[in-house]
Amino acid sequence: MIADSSQGSPRVSSMRVGLLKAGVTDSEAAITAVAEIESYSDQAISGAELSRALVGVADPDLALKSLARLVASAPAPELTRMINTVTAEPIVLGRLLTLMGVSTRFADFLVLHPEIGIIADSQSLAEPPEGIRARLMTCVGADPHQEIPIAMSSQDDVLDALRVAYFQELMGIAARDLTGIYPMEVIAGWLSDLADATLNAALAIGRVGVLHPRTPLAVIAMGKSGGRELNYISDVDVIFATDESDSVNDATQIARGLMRACSAVTAEGSIWEVDAALRPEGKQGALVRTVESHVGYYERWASTWEFQALLKARCVAGDQTVGEQYIHGVQPFIWAAADRDGFVTDVQAMRRRVEENVNASIADREIKLGPGGLRDIEFSVQLLQLVHGRSDALIRSSNTIDALRALAMWGYVGREEASQLEHSYRFLRTLEHRIQLRHLRRTHIVPQDPDELRVIARSMGITSNPIDTLISQWGSNRAEVRRIHEKLFYRPLLNAVAGLDASAARLGSAAATERLRALGFLDPAGALRNIEALSSGVSRRSNIQRTLLPVMLSWFAQAPFPDTGLSAFRAVSDQVGSSHWYLRLLRDESLIAQRLAYLLASTRYVTELIHKVPESISMLAHNEDLVPPVLGPEIDSVLTRHLEPERAVSSLRAIRRRELFRTSSADALRLTDVTTVGRALTEVAEATIRGALACANEEDPSVWLAIIGMGRFGGCELGFGSDADLMFVFEPAVGADHEVAAKSAFARVNRMRSLLSAPADEPPLELDTDLRPEGKNGPLVRSLDSFAAYYKNWSSPWEAQALLRARTVAGDAELGARFEKMIAPVRYPVAGLNATALLEMRTLKARMETERLPRGIDPKRHIKLGRGGLSDVEWTIQLLQLSHGHECPELRTTQTLQALAAAEQGQLMSHQDSAILAKAWTLASEVRNAIVLVKGKSSDVLPIDVTDLAAIAYLMGYSRSRVGQLEQDYLRATRRARGVAERIFYGSVS
Amino acid sequence: MDKQAEFVLRTVEERDIRFVRLWFTDILGALKSVAIAPAELEGAFTEGIGFDGSAIEGFARVYESDMLARPDPSTFSILPWREEGPGVARMFCDIKMPDGSPSFADPRHVLKRALTRAAEMGFTFYTHSEVEFYLFKDEPALGSEPVPIDRYGYFDNAPNGLAHDFRRQAITTLEAMGISVEFSHHEGGPGQQEIDLRYADALSTADNLMTFRLAIKEVALDQGIFASFMPKPFMEHPGSGMHTHLSLFEGDTNAFYEPGAPHQLSKVARSFLAGLLVHAPEITAVTNQWVNSYKRIAGGAEAPAWACWGRHNRSALLRVPIYKPDKANSARLEYRALDSATNPYLAFALLLSAGLKGIEEEYEMPPEAEDNVWALSEIERSALGMRPLPGSLNQAIIAMENSELVADTLGEHVFDFFLRNKKAEWNEYRQQVTQWELNRYLPSL
Repeated sequence: MIADSSQGSPRVSSMRVGLLKAGVTDSEAAITAVAEIESYSDQAISGAELSRALVGVADPDLALKSLARLVASAPAPELTRMINTVTAEPIVLGRLLTLMGVSTRFADFLVLHPEIGIIADSQSLAEPPEGIRARLMTCVGADPHQEIPIAMSSQDDVLDALRVAYFQELMGIAARDLTGIYPMEVIAGWLSDLADATLNAALAIGRVGVLHPRTPLAVIAMGKSGGRELNYISDVDVIFATDESDSVNDATQIARGLMRACSAVTAEGSIWEVDAALRPEGKQGALVRTVESHVGYYERWASTWEFQALLKARCVAGDQTVGEQYIHGVQPFIWAAADRDGFVTDVQAMRRRVEENVNASIADREIKLGPGGLRDIEFSVQLLQLVHGRSDALIRSSNTIDALRALAMWGYVGREEASQLEHSYRFLRTLEHRIQLRHLRRTHIVPQDPDELRVIARSMGITSNPIDTLISQWGSNRAEVRRIHEKLFYRPLLNAVAGLDASAARLGSAAATERLRALGFLDPAGALRNIEALSSGVSRRSNIQRTLLPVMLSWFAQAPFPDTGLSAFRAVSDQVGSSHWYLRLLRDESLIAQRLAYLLASTRYVTELIHKVPESISMLAHNEDLVPPVLGPEIDSVLTRHLEPERAVSSLRAIRRRELFRTSSADALRLTDVTTVGRALTEVAEATIRGALACANEEDPSVWLAIIGMGRFGGCELGFGSDADLMFVFEPAVGADHEVAAKSAFARVNRMRSLLSAPADEPPLELDTDLRPEGKNGPLVRSLDSFAAYYKNWSSPWEAQALLRARTVAGDAELGARFEKMIAPVRYPVAGLNATALLEMRTLKARMETERLPRGIDPKRHIKLGRGGLSDVEWTIQLLQLSHGHECPELRTTQTLQALAAAEQGQLMSHQDSAILAKAWTLASEVRNAIVLVKGKSSDVLPIDVTDLAAIAYLMGYSRSRVGQLEQDYLRATRRARGVAERIFYGSVS
Repeated sequence: MDKQAEFVLRTVEERDIRFVRLWFTDILGALKSVAIAPAELEGAFTEGIGFDGSAIEGFARVYESDMLARPDPSTFSILPWREEGPGVARMFCDIKMPDGSPSFADPRHVLKRALTRAAEMGFTFYTHSEVEFYLFKDEPALGSEPVPIDRYGYFDNAPNGLAHDFRRQAITTLEAMGISVEFSHHEGGPGQQEIDLRYADALSTADNLMTFRLAIKEVALDQGIFASFMPKPFMEHPGSGMHTHLSLFEGDTNAFYEPGAPHQLSKVARSFLAGLLVHAPEITAVTNQWVNSYKRIAGGAEAPAWACWGRHNRSALLRVPIYKPDKANSARLEYRALDSATNPYLAFALLLSAGLKGIEEEYEMPPEAEDNVWALSEIERSALGMRPLPGSLNQAIIAMENSELVADTLGEHVFDFFLRNKKAEWNEYRQQVTQWELNRYLPSL
């Protein structure tokens, strides 16, 4: 009303300017509020003063509105007191507005509790908040000076009093915080003091009404509270301990009372949840244990994350003796943790889990979790402490900033890196604090609303272009943190050998060795030599490698063979290190560097291909480059380009080598599946054979020739270690002489084989022709008629069985089709399998199982011939194909998995059986491929060497902490498959 | 090195221990031992002691490389029966692979794995066993009749009894090794004894049972007599069982107890019990692992042959013991099929897994068997839903072969080895021509 009448007057317009300058957005409402304040305070608080005091306030609109609310609602005596304070000390007005300008909750509280007055004068706000514990104790009626204080009651009025007192203290800390004088860690320390004091008061309440209220109970703070780095709104993690088992019952009751005193929702709300889930056995475990029971648990059961949590344990309330016993009892476990099996993998796995847990849609707004979050810093600092803290007590600290500084001071991390990181940590923590203050809610999410962002930015002192500045600062700090592993763990290793940068960590060689070993390097000395070779010198290459190495090392360390990976990287660098493309790729395509590190440190097969043709690593940059291309046009172009067959085939084989790299890399990177791999390898083999056949002699019009793929080649299921099984069929042209045609076909086939197997740099394509009629004794090429006659008169059941996989792969398509038509009645006999044939097939397989298995090999581990292995599955489905192929057209496929699906569809096999067989077959095929990738050579035996087994499991995506799991899975899958095979193939009844 | 390992090193020094025996158990439950000098102890704690696994029953051919025995310092104990001469101590070992990961052939690891699963569900597993065994005058020569040391019976207090002296010395020895004995008495058969161990977590109980068997044999030798844990040495006298009490704790509270629930048994206990009943047939090959074990079960009386439960029913597989109302923590189940010659690690692991399966799948507890099960007719038993336990090792093998529960719990390696070994045992047994056959058939056929 006042504003209305005086609108346009010079006074108002100058005030409007002042308010707008102070950051007010709604000047009308602000002017109204100012007028109200002036009026209620009898002009003691003037608009001009308000404008001045508003400068730098996060949300000036809110601050004015709140102050107006406050003066309007305050009872007369309180109002007078307030006005007196403000007029005596103008600075107090600014503090009040700052506080109310960050959250509406402060004004709400003051309106509700005018008796508190406007918190504190400027004198007390300039000093740390001493004596919190005594004040909170007194407010619940406990004597702070007694050894075991007990509250006057545990009724709601006492809980209310505690809540009011708590909030008042919290407001005091916030007011000090927002003045910007105190660094983040001091504020966090005070917040921890407040939490400690609250736990003390809550303990005094918890003792009320318990049979033995003086039962010893120690409250151990964990987590942020334990580290004295609490934020505004957070659960407080605790563990409870008592002295002896007789005390447990009473102590448990007291602990429950304590938790309730903090968490119960009363008229004054709730303080925070007391979270006791870090205790032994987690939420399932007893709430209170004796110190002995705690120690016993850690001796026997604890897992790595629990030791990491123990780093922060601190006794904050209750029985100090028990508390000290507890801390003393658990300390040794913490520092022995790094010696535990799988410690590093455990910790890294925990980190990955934390990352995976973050809901993807908010991950990029998370301050705490997610890549580049606060958790990253805390984890890494704790990990380094666990690794080096055992031999060096100087770096043991439960507080993140203290620990980081100690690590830098004693040379475990670079000073420069540590101080950058500390800066980022402060920034992120401050941001977190301000976001929490805004609504006094427990959150770690940066809001999206621009108005909110603006207030938060201003509360952090960012007044010019607040939103964009805040977002960009946050982004750059996150980016800084994201590179924490390479910075903290790996970069100091470079300086251990190179020592170029004076400000960097001077990790002694003993510490470097300790760290490399903790990171999984088996030969730290060798690794250090490689690091030295890669990073020393002044060339452009060593410059780039120096930058790259820390992060490369972290990738090597995650793979099964870090040492091999590092030395292979050195070899590649020696080979092509000076070429421009290589350095550019490494520098600009971080995905390539990461994938290269992974492949070098986990697969010998791919590593050998890389050594042969280092250029191929450029494919690793994009997933679409790792998808097999259509090869036809490229092959055709090679064939038209080179007239000389040797050179043409050499080009074909180079294409094949490139495709092998592509497929093996995709497989190792788990970007594909075993069926796709099989198809890709089959297509490459086909294309190569087709091309080689085209190069072998001129087309001879007197003879048609077709190449029939058999076995896994016929089934489009080639693996990295497979040969290509083949048969050759020809037919003389009409009127041509049979003998001449046979000779010509034979010559062509031979020429093709010699072209493909000529010694060269490229991996040879092995052809296997032993499945032809009469095996090694039979002619290499046969006419269609001769095939037909043979199958009609001589063929045995196993040959019919082998024909199930026959498929034309090259040569004359029409002849191939006629061949397939000719064999149809052989492989899909109209009468199915007769009893004799069935018996013969079963006995043959049974004999193979005993005779063909290499001696000394555990049959369970033989992938092809062993229990429930590939041949159990294939023979079982092939039996059904032979029996029912004539009546069930879907069964007429050369592919195992398709045939299994068809058998299930045709109700020849239950869904369960078909799934069991498919699972075992797929797993066995995957294992077989993985063996080749890891070892660089093929083997049909699941390795018994633990290192190999672990590497294979890793390549197949098993977590490194569960090495035995692959073996268990494999043995289980094949045991089940054997059960099905015995039933269906052998017809046994169980 | 942790505090306990340091404690062991110090004690070895202070007590002038000259040999430390490292103990572990093969798949069939035989105790294996390798002695090392104190100087090697430190290495044994950090690296483990390498040995050739192929020499041990069931360890062979898992991996080609040597295995490592890594002693568990919390099991350190001085052997009390080597009083004169330099001291000897023992520790149980975990069997590790060269990379430090646990061996899948190690029965102790099988149990630890099962315990970890229980821990993930929030439970600790406690057991205590009542071990029965016979004392004979001498080690029976092959082919001769064994002669028991006395002719007394159940709870008899024999005057000047050898058995009495024996039990006193046995218990002193056990207590000296930190194994608490709850109870001991003369059992039903002549020369038959029972000693009850106090309850402890399952891993400790299993370790204790391994120690127990050796200690009993040592004390007997010392007294010039012979002790045997054979399940059924006499046709006409009761066999040696190992009734075992089972309970789950959540922290410090007994998870089986629920005041006001039927029989004060919580839902956890009821499902656990149901799990044991459902899976009893398939785990029997392990709980009763010898051809001879089934002679005990066939004998009737206190040996259970059907999967059922009762409170007072001594013929039931599972008994729910009565306990004083103020002893909530004593709520437990008694599994009565086990015999004294089982591998306790594997048996406990399977009992636990069967019970946990019941909890996970929320099996319902069947009604109580109130009658003497032996007195019922077959059709009555079948009407009551009681399934028979395997009557022979062969039946037990067949039941186990199709069990995913057993395969999962034992791990594929132990599962496979155990089955192969037991099939071979059964095959050998089938070929025996016994005295009974000769007596019965030779005269008339």
